[in-house]
Amino acid sequence: METSNKKLAKKRRSASQLAVVWRRFRRNKAAIAGLVLVGFVVFMAVFGSFFAPFPPRSFPCLYKGCTSLPPFQDWSHPLGTEPSGIDVYSEILQSARNDLYVGLAATLISVAIGLGIGVASGYSSGVSGALLLGITQVFLVLPVLVLILLFSRILVLLVAQGFGLTIIVLILGIFGWPGIAYITRGETLRLKEAEFIQATKALGASKSRILFRHIMPNILSPVIVIATLTVAANILTEAAISFLGFGDPNTSTWGQMLNDGFSWLNYWWISFFPGIMIVFSTLGFNLLGDGLSEALNPRLKE
Amino acid sequence: MGEEILRVENLKTYFFTEAGVVKAVDGVSFSVYEGEPLGIVGETGSGKTVTSLSIMRIVPPPGKIISGRIIYRGEDLLEKSEDEMRKIRGKKIAIVFQDPNSSLDPLFTVESQLNEVIMAHLKVTKQEARNRALELLKMVRIPDPEARLKAYPHELSGGMRQRVAIARALANEPDILIADEPTTNLDVTIQAQIIELLKELQSKLKMTLIMITHDMGLVAETTKRVVVLYAGSVAEIAPTNEIFKSMRHPYTAALLKAVPRIDRRKELKPIPGSIPNLIDPPSGCRFHPRCPYVIQRCIEEVPELEFTDQRAVACHRWKELSLKGE
Repeated sequence: METSNKKLAKKRRSASQLAVVWRRFRRNKAAIAGLVLVGFVVFMAVFGSFFAPFPPRSFPCLYKGCTSLPPFQDWSHPLGTEPSGIDVYSEILQSARNDLYVGLAATLISVAIGLGIGVASGYSSGVSGALLLGITQVFLVLPVLVLILLFSRILVLLVAQGFGLTIIVLILGIFGWPGIAYITRGETLRLKEAEFIQATKALGASKSRILFRHIMPNILSPVIVIATLTVAANILTEAAISFLGFGDPNTSTWGQMLNDGFSWLNYWWISFFPGIMIVFSTLGFNLLGDGLSEALNPRLKE
Repeated sequence: MGEEILRVENLKTYFFTEAGVVKAVDGVSFSVYEGEPLGIVGETGSGKTVTSLSIMRIVPPPGKIISGRIIYRGEDLLEKSEDEMRKIRGKKIAIVFQDPNSSLDPLFTVESQLNEVIMAHLKVTKQEARNRALELLKMVRIPDPEARLKAYPHELSGGMRQRVAIARALANEPDILIADEPTTNLDVTIQAQIIELLKELQSKLKMTLIMITHDMGLVAETTKRVVVLYAGSVAEIAPTNEIFKSMRHPYTAALLKAVPRIDRRKELKPIPGSIPNLIDPPSGCRFHPRCPYVIQRCIEEVPELEFTDQRAVACHRWKELSLKGE
């Protein structure tokens, strides 16, 4: 009995912070819904091409002479076709990968830049810190969408050569970091004064060790939350860019499909199904982010 | 008394705030001898903590050490590079902070926090560090040390956390241990245990202990000599057993009157007035606005720290006054 109790206690202990976070997360129905939606999108991104009957940006129906087939009529084209003959169902499945790629890769770039600049400007007092804060503020007020449109027009040659998504990822990443930098700066300022940072310093730890081992891990949870929300924002912005016709017409994304359907508004299915997917994915990431924010928030202890 | 191990000379540490320059430590001098438990006592804002942070050279901005010398084994710490200083912190001089609830990183286990200090200064394998960590936990009397190595700070009680903090400070057997109000944030019963532990470790390891506190009782119990700070400068230095009988500075006397004593049934007398504004401190002797023995000279002239036999006092009138604590 005694030993089994001890074992139990040990098990409880090794059920670390991660388990606590998961327990709190699980109780939140909206967060679970978000996780399911994100899981659905990720599944599509990974396995979508296995289920897609036709390759992306191909015109299978055109060869059969049929154009703009409505959905649920011909089961070889369950969600209908575009007037150009593109199969909507295949296109949606295969766009998931591109959309997720844009969302995640751009976020990764933003987090890397934002975390670096935020922590550096929070930790270094004096001129360099103020300078970094100034740069952050300048980037914060830039009209990002307009700049993105401008850049994708300037780089139109590259875009047309199939680098379209990468260009969009880079632009989104490079302009998307100020919010992250703001949050990490604030957290760093708070932590810098914390006694355990002083104590670590007093025990002979170097500056880089304090930064990477003690400050960065301690600001990870807000960064995870804002990164999740940024993924949603990036997917949405990409959709906007492509919808406005500034994307790469040879790469299938949901936004690109909206653009396809724009000139054929009476063929509602062309825009409707990708639109639903955009809603699902951004809603999913937003709910997931909110759920994580609640689960990771130490102030809401059970 | 052992050899002089640390000497603080005319230390000035100012904080450059927007409201003005706060002279938190303004000309503090004292010596610490090897193996001795020394107390530094004073009210909140007297400069105790800033003095200890200055010794470690970890004064947070906007604070800055303006002048003075901190001689550790014949070398001035204020002239060392940051790299040299890092090798001294945690190895030669270590510090235990006030609040054990916030002086440990919440994200790491006890083991990794202890390993961090050990491996920062010694080239040892993980296994050796682990053994050392275990040994340290035993030394600070943590029950079931093997299991505690895996614990996170939030899984320990306040007293346990302070023991871990002490173990961490002692990891590399420092020459000098600074304990900055190590019991302030603990329950009374736990306070007694921590004090016992520090006393025991001090005598066992023959360690030089600098006990920073506002608690005269703690000073009496743990130290052999005491430095009394007031508003950023030294009021009096004396052997602990003498200071309770014959204090020379009126501030020391006032301080002792404000401490409850079980052997004397007397009313407590708070010190009138409050600690002065350190941006614009009083002229002359800084204690003069609150001192019952004030004369014109006290307002005009800053008293020098006068050394006589084992003691020192900064008061113009100490020879004519015969002060009593009770």
